[in-house]
Amino acid sequence: MVERQSEAPSALPPSEPGAALRVLLAMGLLAALLAAGCAPVRPEQRAILADRIMQFGADARERAALEHALENREGSVGAGSVQGGGCGCN
Amino acid sequence: MQLRRWPGVALLASMFGWVSAPARAQVAEVDVRTQIFHEPSATSRMTVYTPEVNIEASPSEAVRVFASYQADAVTGASEAVKAGPLLSNVPDIVSRASVRDFRQIATGGVALTREHARVSASYTYGTENDYRSNSFAVSAGTDFLQRNTDVELGYSKGFDDVCSLRQRNLPTTLRPGLDSSDGCFTSSERTESLPISLDNFRVGWTQTWTPVFTTQLIFTGALQHGFLGNPYREVVISSAGESAQENHPEDRRRAALGLGLKYYSRSLETAFGVTARGYRDSWELQSFTAELTAERYLQPWLRLFVHGRAYAQSGASFWSDDYTGGEPATGPRGQFWSGDREMSPLQTLLAGMTLTGSWRAAGDARWIGVFREFSAGVSMDLLATFLQDFTWAGAKPDDTVVLLPSLGATGSF
Repeated sequence: MVERQSEAPSALPPSEPGAALRVLLAMGLLAALLAAGCAPVRPEQRAILADRIMQFGADARERAALEHALENREGSVGAGSVQGGGCGCN
Repeated sequence: MQLRRWPGVALLASMFGWVSAPARAQVAEVDVRTQIFHEPSATSRMTVYTPEVNIEASPSEAVRVFASYQADAVTGASEAVKAGPLLSNVPDIVSRASVRDFRQIATGGVALTREHARVSASYTYGTENDYRSNSFAVSAGTDFLQRNTDVELGYSKGFDDVCSLRQRNLPTTLRPGLDSSDGCFTSSERTESLPISLDNFRVGWTQTWTPVFTTQLIFTGALQHGFLGNPYREVVISSAGESAQENHPEDRRRAALGLGLKYYSRSLETAFGVTARGYRDSWELQSFTAELTAERYLQPWLRLFVHGRAYAQSGASFWSDDYTGGEPATGPRGQFWSGDREMSPLQTLLAGMTLTGSWRAAGDARWIGVFREFSAGVSMDLLATFLQDFTWAGAKPDDTVVLLPSLGATGSF
């Protein structure tokens, strides 16, 4: 019989991935500020943006299959791309 | 359990009623694909075949209904008991059992689109010998600022059940692992189903900056509650060789933030992508992912996609390669134990490529007399895992390389 005691998990010291989250958040805020002062791309300028090679999530099914495999070998999930993205192609 | 399925059944029924409306569908799409997950190791030889069929129809310009079926056929061998290096001198302390399983997932849903807004709802049911899942998902998105900005919100709720031995009255240290799925989800006195509650949230923001540059920022969160371990796996937790069923915390809060950039180089006629993702959860597992992509047309009908991805994670707070004396008896490693390599510190490298051909018929013509559009693709990915602190009784696993070939074809009518 093994005797073990319960205790709340202790906090780990800040590590590099945690810092990476903060860097990504800062980059997002910076992008938001830039967006506020950015001249919009006009519909006639969207020829390249409308192509599927410039679309996030255009290969959603292929990506989902790959993510399904990765989930079996890695401990973290989430923050994959979503479809849509204002391509203005319709 | 039965009551939970009724809303999904109603949704599926209404969806198929919509699909079957005669001569209303303007466009229908059928997509078939299959992926093979193969670990060419001497011990596990794990192979998973994942065939998939997706069907979509658009009864009107604003409505899209969809359904899919996916299966996982699993064969190979898996270690049923995890031990650490301190017991490396004990013969057969790590046992290995053959694995054969068949998982099926069916999804149905509907999406409505207006000029600047879209909503969708879907229901998914999954079943295998020892696991059942029911999931509802909804999402909504809109674009504005002349379509330069797009925001999407998503939420899904899962009600899962996992099979385990009927042993809740036993201390966790005395619970054996499930030896087979016999009797699972029946009235058997031997087994019981343990509920798992899953809540997933997603926020996505896509921004167009220039005619050749766009970005996407995504945050996802997940709340999980229930039996979150592997019911089959046992972990050796005493120096005498006694083992107990894997014991993970019953709650897990997960968060991930990802930023993607896409840039089209006119001179190279190639779209380049960079994605970075940070992840952290309440088990104190943290990770960082970086991915580079490039995609271009080799011919007007043929495009090539290549990518490379690097991933690094820390171990969970309660992770130990050996629970028999190398770790303190108190604290996270005294309360919980895991034999899951995904809980250990590791890195992975992924590289792959996809070649896709697409053909579109001119006007009202049909390509080979059938399709308005047709595309077919073949891909190959290679995944290598570098385990920093995981052994089978001191021996490094050899099943750390995965081959992922896949084939897919999509036709629009």
